[in-house]
Amino acid sequence: MTTISLPKTLTFAVALALSGCAKSYLVLLEDHDGSTGKVIFSGAGNETVVEQAGYGATLDNNSKTVFKVEQEKINKDFGRALASEPVLPEIFLLYFETGGTKLTAESAALIPKIVETAGKHPAADISVIGHTDTVGDAGKNEKLANERAVQVSRLFDPSKLDVKEIAVTSHGEKNLLIKTGDEISEPRNRRVEVTIR
Amino acid sequence: MKHLFACWGMGLALCISSTASADETVIGYIKTITDQTTIDESAGPIKASLGSPVHVGNVIKTDQNGAAGLTLKDNTILSIGPNTELKIEAYQFEPQQDKLQLNASLLKGTLHYISGVIAKLKPEAVTVKTPTGVIAVRGTRFLVKIEE
Repeated sequence: MTTISLPKTLTFAVALALSGCAKSYLVLLEDHDGSTGKVIFSGAGNETVVEQAGYGATLDNNSKTVFKVEQEKINKDFGRALASEPVLPEIFLLYFETGGTKLTAESAALIPKIVETAGKHPAADISVIGHTDTVGDAGKNEKLANERAVQVSRLFDPSKLDVKEIAVTSHGEKNLLIKTGDEISEPRNRRVEVTIR
Repeated sequence: MKHLFACWGMGLALCISSTASADETVIGYIKTITDQTTIDESAGPIKASLGSPVHVGNVIKTDQNGAAGLTLKDNTILSIGPNTELKIEAYQFEPQQDKLQLNASLLKGTLHYISGVIAKLKPEAVTVKTPTGVIAVRGTRFLVKIEE
């Protein structure tokens, strides 16, 4: 009994897997940082949750089944989409001496690496956001944060780099990295955040 | 349709198109590309190239040889394979004003999605529509294939 029914079950499973091949489906992957989130597909009154990397769900029937997707199939179906992934955005924090636009020695030493990174991003889209700590007047800090950001933005020479856009923004003292009260000198809040996309 | 034929007739491979009401704000750039991609802009499809800006309402299209990748302002990454149409339905990234939204539609083909800041700050603001339903994202990376 068992020896007969087992191959039947297997055949059925293979048939299901094959029919799954032709269908619309999604696959959850591990993030580049090693974590795995989840995706939820809602269609025709059904909800399918996929929470394990390498597992998928079909999008075009009422099945709520989650199934494993072989790497070979991922490569075959998604090889080109995966290969056209852009360079991942990179974020740098530069810190300043109090009350001005002078970088700390440590941050100044980071500059060559940041410029080099920008060179590795084709059609770079760079955002530079300036911040201050809460020492002094909020209006003046808005201006100071802007001066810090403008100064950092000048590191990127569009005549030497493939840069599409450099967006400079000031958050003044409104976006503290380390929450403090007013009039608190906090080195980690005196910063410029550079994102290179 | 007229534009579409013109586009294929010229042997272009990646098109980006958009509706007439498309917002002019740049929400991201084409960062990787084969020469088989177009963007449907309000004036009709244009051949996309490295660094082409992407706007809300754009449809990014690849032909059988095309592939492209784009990086949006919140660091969301979308890369597509051949025979694909991806539409950016809505996009807002102003964290200071709590304006966060990303709605894309995969009309056909293959998509590789990597979540950015919007999905981290406001997961419910991110959706990818397919012809049969909606994919919601909880901070992650995934692939979708639409079989015609």
